[in-house]
Amino acid sequence: MNVRRRAGVASLAACLVVAMGGCATQPALVESPLGHVELVDTPFHPQRRYQCGPASLATVLGASGVAVTPGGLEPLVYLPGRKGSLQVEMQAAPRSYGRLSYRIEPELPAVVSELDAGRPVLVLHNYGLPGWPRWHYAVVIGHNAQADQLILRSGMERREVWSARNFMRAWDNGDRWALVVLQPGELPKAPDKDRYLEAAAAFENVAAPHDAWLAFDAAARAWPAAPVAWIGRGTAKYRERNFHAAAADYEVALRLEPGHAGARNNLAMTLLEQGCARAARQQLDMIDVAGLNEAMREAVIDSSRQVDAKLGLDKVPYGISTENCIGSSTHHESQSQGSVSTRTAPL
Amino acid sequence: MKSTHLRSTFVGILALAIVNPGFVNTAQAGIAGTEAMVSTARDLHIAGLQGQLERADVRSELARLGVDPAALDARIANLSDSELATLSKRLHDAPAGGNVVAVIGVVFIVLIILEVVGVIDIFKKNP
Repeated sequence: MNVRRRAGVASLAACLVVAMGGCATQPALVESPLGHVELVDTPFHPQRRYQCGPASLATVLGASGVAVTPGGLEPLVYLPGRKGSLQVEMQAAPRSYGRLSYRIEPELPAVVSELDAGRPVLVLHNYGLPGWPRWHYAVVIGHNAQADQLILRSGMERREVWSARNFMRAWDNGDRWALVVLQPGELPKAPDKDRYLEAAAAFENVAAPHDAWLAFDAAARAWPAAPVAWIGRGTAKYRERNFHAAAADYEVALRLEPGHAGARNNLAMTLLEQGCARAARQQLDMIDVAGLNEAMREAVIDSSRQVDAKLGLDKVPYGISTENCIGSSTHHESQSQGSVSTRTAPL
Repeated sequence: MKSTHLRSTFVGILALAIVNPGFVNTAQAGIAGTEAMVSTARDLHIAGLQGQLERADVRSELARLGVDPAALDARIANLSDSELATLSKRLHDAPAGGNVVAVIGVVFIVLIILEVVGVIDIFKKNP
């Protein structure tokens, strides 16, 4: 027994020496111009049994200015039958609190640059073995480039220091899932256009119109040539019943991509709201329905029905205009053209 | 059991859709949500009735897994169409983060791995 223990200690020591030797020859994983960052003001919520999802989500939301407890988040993310929280729901829940969630690049430098920008990063770790996974959510709140370490709020630990190498092992086994929580209008450090627009579009479904506007406005500033950014802005204005501003944004999108069915459909509905059913019909006639995805095709068919109902109701013979919309449409055109140049410029 | 449940959900939704045609296209009459225009939407083929069915299905599965009925609406509403599709496929096998594993556990696991791989042999009896 004694011998065995001594042998164990000896091999452990040998192992440590090997490991340290290994560290010395391998390059550091954490690299940052700031050297050492620790977001000490990040709240800490020690987790209860199985509740690392709600606890770590409360931590990143708190850092983003949302005061919420793990108990408050439990009904939104905890799944009793699975004794844990699923990534998809962890990603969706911040929308209830007026925040976007954005999955960052699955690379350590992306985590480090978010920390450098002052944002803690929610990660999924796997401490198990192949075929025996042990999933755990934690929040990275700091790094130390000199020591090649990461600092986490995790479980019951307020400040858990991990070597970058061990962190990567657990993160790799969790498929390198990492999330940041953004205020409307805030962009991640190195945003991917498509991924950000997707996050903003998912946010739009539950967000207040002005919050959605802020999220898409930030996208329109970052990628002025992306039609979807302008469409999102326009739809936020449409929901506020500011049809004039909505039409202007949809027209910007259409100038960027004249064949954009979504922009064309929504412009038609905006025109209809403004009492311009005939102009709306003309917009809809320009849409090539073939090749649209199902959701878009349904929207276009529905728009058509509404526009035709209005045309029938007003008994306007097709081809005879009683609307004063052509003028107002060109008015939009010239006005938004004017504003595009100012919008796409510095901002 | 599950199929009866699915069928009753289907019948319910169908009845609702027939009585109230507006039900199928709830969001904003005619206007298309930006979600239908983002890159992932290109190959996503859920909309209208089918989307409603999928939502109803995930909703009842979440309830079956013990989610508080009062929170079901908010949980479903928060999901984008593509997230909903992911959830409906992987509700039972997607990673569910929840465990606290003490550091001692991690060390133990690492030692087991090293043992199995043959780097160390602390678990073997000395000759």
